[in-house]
Amino acid sequence: MVPAAVQHEEPREDDELLARVAAGNQGALSELIARHGRGLRMFAARYLGNAGDAEDVVQEVFVTIWKQAARFDPARGRASTWLYRITANRCIDQRRRRALRTFIGLDDVRDEVASQEPGAEATTAARQELAIVRDCLSRLPERQRMAVLLRAVGDLDIAAIAEVMGGSAGSAEQLLVRGRRALRDHLRDHLAMAAEGLERKSS
Amino acid sequence: MTRDEFERNKRRFGDDVGAWPAPFRQEARAFVTGETARSPQDDPDRALDRLVLEAALMASDEQALTHKVLARIDAGRRSTWSSFLPRFLLEPAGLAACAAAMLVAMTLAGYQVARLQDDLQDSELLALASGARLSDNGLSGDGLSGIAADPAAGEDSL
Repeated sequence: MVPAAVQHEEPREDDELLARVAAGNQGALSELIARHGRGLRMFAARYLGNAGDAEDVVQEVFVTIWKQAARFDPARGRASTWLYRITANRCIDQRRRRALRTFIGLDDVRDEVASQEPGAEATTAARQELAIVRDCLSRLPERQRMAVLLRAVGDLDIAAIAEVMGGSAGSAEQLLVRGRRALRDHLRDHLAMAAEGLERKSS
Repeated sequence: MTRDEFERNKRRFGDDVGAWPAPFRQEARAFVTGETARSPQDDPDRALDRLVLEAALMASDEQALTHKVLARIDAGRRSTWSSFLPRFLLEPAGLAACAAAMLVAMTLAGYQVARLQDDLQDSELLALASGARLSDNGLSGDGLSGIAADPAAGEDSL
């Protein structure tokens, strides 16, 4: 079972930053980007499978925050949940746009997210494993992938995942359980295939 | 996460790791406890989350991102009104709305032109029915129709 809540303190600092952003303070926006830019970009890049699209989405997200920070109500939820919600919605829009462009032949979509150390992939077993995890993630159904990433990258609890994805806590938990199960199955298949390949090579 | 990164983040976000933003928080926790995605853990879900996080890690430059966001905000502020129409037209919905408006306008214009022509034909047919004759120079007595309203006028012109 998935724990109902993650044990960490509520970073109220973000609420204050959003209030200052709403008042037109660009320094506060920079601070907010320093705190959450990395997480949001990692989430968007892994969800979309395209680093360029993710960069564009995250920029859009912070422009939206600049314009609409006053609409954030701390009484209704955490700031991080609000940020991930905006990002998730932008990602869904971006995916639809990309699908349309691909359908009419304007785009050729490939997984274009650079690893942390480009060119170093496949040099060690650990890196190979991470490449396999990325591949398995891209094979998950979209909503399951989103739930898994919100949990792992955003460190959101079930209630927050449900809020971001616009559903009940029960459905969010189901998505997460199914996503994890599917990811494990994919990983098991991949690793079995890799081991088989190694055995064949050695024999 | 290295010791240097941990110390740097501690200066940025404070001593309380639990209040750090994600994914710095998870990385710091793993650094403090010494656990990795491959080390034995009691909770398999936590191990999988850790593996997904490691797979998602990528180089990121928040300063560059900040510059780009601020540039977008400034550009938007400068051109809110001047570029409203072109930006609106670049959106698929805007393009479709514009095309629909043009279609309606062209249809209405077409009806107007056709109605004027119909009026002309109606008056010609009415004149023909009342016994008028076609004049050779294509002009009738009133200068509008090719039919002479008065049969005698048509004969005079021959």
